[in-house]
Amino acid sequence: MSAANLRFLHDQLPAFSTAAGLTVVLAVLSMVCAMAWGLMLAAPAMSRRAWLRYPATAYIELMRNTPLLIQIYVIYFGFPLIGLNYSSFTCGVIGIAAQHGAFLAEIYRAGIQSIDRRQGEAAHALGMTRVLAMRLVILPQALARVTPMLTNQLIVLLKDTSLLASIGVLEMTLTAKMIIERTGASFQVFVLVALAYLAMTSALGLLARALELRQARRR
Amino acid sequence: MVPFDVFFANLPYLLRGALVTLQIGAIGVVGGTLAGFALGVAGAMAGRAVRALVAVYVFIVRGVPILVWMFMGYFGLPLLGARLGGFLAVNIVLVAYTAAFVCEIVRGAILAVPRGQIEAARSLGMTGGGILRLVILPQAVRESLPPLVNNSVMIVKQSAYVSIVGVWELSYAAREVVERTMAPFSIFIGVMFLYFLICYPIAMSAQCLEKRYARGHAQKE
Repeated sequence: MSAANLRFLHDQLPAFSTAAGLTVVLAVLSMVCAMAWGLMLAAPAMSRRAWLRYPATAYIELMRNTPLLIQIYVIYFGFPLIGLNYSSFTCGVIGIAAQHGAFLAEIYRAGIQSIDRRQGEAAHALGMTRVLAMRLVILPQALARVTPMLTNQLIVLLKDTSLLASIGVLEMTLTAKMIIERTGASFQVFVLVALAYLAMTSALGLLARALELRQARRR
Repeated sequence: MVPFDVFFANLPYLLRGALVTLQIGAIGVVGGTLAGFALGVAGAMAGRAVRALVAVYVFIVRGVPILVWMFMGYFGLPLLGARLGGFLAVNIVLVAYTAAFVCEIVRGAILAVPRGQIEAARSLGMTGGGILRLVILPQAVRESLPPLVNNSVMIVKQSAYVSIVGVWELSYAAREVVERTMAPFSIFIGVMFLYFLICYPIAMSAQCLEKRYARGHAQKE
């Protein structure tokens, strides 16, 4: 890269840091929402009552087997028709949480079902209610067991925030595209973006690794 | 209720888009699996330098969103002197991206073959190529088949993203139709079901494979 190129990239840094900040905010917010939504989905998906289980599993399968892009379009372009005028940012968070919640629900379920049934029965025998047993006995163990899958999914989520470029959220990917369109710069802008994403996903990956190690030590 | 007659009126046009989606998906699955298999074998069995190169490739490719790679391919590949259409550029990106994921699946499956088997094969007088072909690959392929099939679902879903960089397929066609008809709900939900019709059978067959192989394992033990 020539000096002029570097100088050009340097001039774009303020716009970039704002965009990178937005990507991080988007990712963190979506992660929290998706994890909560996943839990709320996992419960009915494992229910013994068919009228709870079928709608939940149907939703999970639909979300898992269709592109996130189309789901975001349904929300962003469709919601105003039913009187819900959310910003593109909000629509993006809802869309990401809607899909990743479904993936996370499956991960939670795998974790919960891997815990010995008798533990729940023992907790019941000690007088715990089913909810309490789930919260204090089953869920902590289940979550520890699926931590690698969970963090992996969250890294995918982080990368998926780039899709919100398609509905006009000014995160890193769209910012890069606009700089190219405005200044006629070449694709080197995207090299910078790629490096930023790489740094973010690596940081999340390292965090996940540290979490796993801590859990392993505790056991 | 959402009036789905708009969707059905535009179904022929959307189905043409779905055909392109299937085409891109097939290129991604076949190309990505072949390239990824080669990478995975190299990543598990080649010399240290090659293994490190493969690891770096996988790390860089998987750490960046595919959309960013698509933009890079779309804007960047022509600059490298390659006179490609956008369609070819995004397909190259999809194959290269998929290859990194396939590589990890295959590499993991190869490394899961117990080392004792390789030593046993060697003591029987088999050489590297023979061990790979007759001992390792048959087990590794079997082990990696269900996740590879599952991976195809991801490829089809990711093929939708090429519409953002401007390649015409199902998602792009959906946006065109919505602009014309102003019926986002029925069109996008309808298109969602078209994707579901492609992806769900693939996901189901992956699940069937998993169950069948799990049974095989249980019998062996």
